[in-house]
Amino acid sequence: MRWGIRAALVVGLLLLALYPKVATGYGIQFMLQLFMWVALAQSWNLISGLTGYVSFGHVAFFGTGAYAAGILITRHGWHWVTGSLMGGVAAVILALVIGYPCLRLKGPYFAIAMLGLNEVMRVLVSYFEGLTGGGSGLSLPTLHASREIYYAMGMTAVGVTGLAYLIFTSRVGLRFMTIREDEIAAEAMGINTARYKLYAFLLSAFAPGVVGGLYARDQGYIEPISVFPLLTTITMIVMALFGGKGTIWGPVLGAVALFVLQELVWARFLYLHQILFGAIIVVVVLLMPKGILGILQDRYRLPRTV
Amino acid sequence: MNVIITPAMVGQVVISGMLAGALYSMVALGLALIFGVMRVINIAHGTLLMLGAYTTFWWFRLLGINPYVSLLVALPLMFFLGMLLQRTLVTRVVNAPELSSLLLTFGISIALVNMAQLAFTSDVRSVEFLTGAFLVGPFALSKSRLVAFAFAVAITAVAFWFLQKTKLGKAIRATSQSSEVAMICGVNVRRIHLFAFGIASALAAAGGSLVAVVVAIQPEMGQVYTFKSFLVIVLGGAGNYPGALLGGMLLGLVEQLSSLYLTTQLSEAVAYVLLVLVLLLRPTGLLGGRAR
Repeated sequence: MRWGIRAALVVGLLLLALYPKVATGYGIQFMLQLFMWVALAQSWNLISGLTGYVSFGHVAFFGTGAYAAGILITRHGWHWVTGSLMGGVAAVILALVIGYPCLRLKGPYFAIAMLGLNEVMRVLVSYFEGLTGGGSGLSLPTLHASREIYYAMGMTAVGVTGLAYLIFTSRVGLRFMTIREDEIAAEAMGINTARYKLYAFLLSAFAPGVVGGLYARDQGYIEPISVFPLLTTITMIVMALFGGKGTIWGPVLGAVALFVLQELVWARFLYLHQILFGAIIVVVVLLMPKGILGILQDRYRLPRTV
Repeated sequence: MNVIITPAMVGQVVISGMLAGALYSMVALGLALIFGVMRVINIAHGTLLMLGAYTTFWWFRLLGINPYVSLLVALPLMFFLGMLLQRTLVTRVVNAPELSSLLLTFGISIALVNMAQLAFTSDVRSVEFLTGAFLVGPFALSKSRLVAFAFAVAITAVAFWFLQKTKLGKAIRATSQSSEVAMICGVNVRRIHLFAFGIASALAAAGGSLVAVVVAIQPEMGQVYTFKSFLVIVLGGAGNYPGALLGGMLLGLVEQLSSLYLTTQLSEAVAYVLLVLVLLLRPTGLLGGRAR
């Protein structure tokens, strides 16, 4: 990275770190949710942008993390930081169990299997009432810690973006991207594709698990329909796509742009919210499938990964 | 659970499973058609089913028309809506990566659901028609489910006759085997896509009209059917049309049998485990589908 960009990044992060000193309650919540979407869009990018395997049920990891953390905090008295980290671990375990068989599927079949995984997780969480509270949800003990959660969420977003930077600019990243471009060629070049796909899947599952745990702590209440909605998966995909999937900064850019748009514009049209979102999806898919960074890459001389 | 399961109970669930399965088969046949000819997974399939159910509801509520007669309205209506969606939007993502078609059809789906909420409100509606059950020996057969079964079998039979015997049907099957070769043989593939989407939407609408009498109607009712249709076409072999019939029956039976031994809630999870097993052991589906 050039020095100017580095300096700008450091200054930006410093400003974000100091922001809670002057922020209102609404400002904190706004930024906290923005960090959440950056982390989610970036984590989706780590499997789907890198290897081309479309995770169409990525919210399953978010929900699993939320419930794992929620149960540890509520029933076992864990601190919310360690609880959320364990949420990440739970999501990785789920990814290991489901990724081993499902990553052998290709194209639409993998997408359907992931979509199904999310449905099943929601059913299972509703079923085991003793542990999860079932359909009536799980209430966490009251705690006022928005500022602390702000930092935790921010560090998760920065962490997963930093991870993306490390991977995209490394030899390992090249292996992942070779799988995306041509899996058979990757195999022929000696890349153990099964193993690398699983690595990418596990890496992409950790952050949504942690974010799910932090979300549970922030909201203080979770229920199956609020942490396993298909809409959340779609939102993170559209954010990554809008900014430019398969790039480092695309998901960040897309998350910021769409989240700000959502808060400032759509909130005024509550009844038309989903029609507008549907229209945005259609526009992004049809007119700019490469995203903002993809378009800039085509037009100007930018590095391939950005 | 220590419930004693008698042979009569097993018979009852097998019958219920087949009654439900025929409907799944019919609805999933539509999804299989779209996937077969275009390789597109239509997330909006269940949404079209919901629109079919509302068509039946409003004709029944406002004009007092028999729900089964309203099939004559719902089918052509959704046929043309399907063609319109294909013509304006879906045709643009036919050869794109699967992510594009998944997102696009999801976008169509939430926009339509939102419009239905605005137009019809989110109130849960029902069509009070043909309640009660026939008692045959030890079995109770819900009248509305039995009639729905009969209609589903008849409509599916017509669809199959169409696919097997008519020139257009043969062109659809040829396109799903290989669109390049079909094109070389003089098939207008874009027109086939249009008809396939129209027929698929009509099949979904038929499902909606028939379940309108059986289950509660509300704008979000479709998603469950989209998911079940996925299960069915993967079980039977995607792009394999007889496979959709077998898959539908199998899903109906598995759901009902697992609700006998476990609980209704878990039957969806059981169906998913079945899906993953089939994908792993016979990746081309039970009757074989296109290579993946």
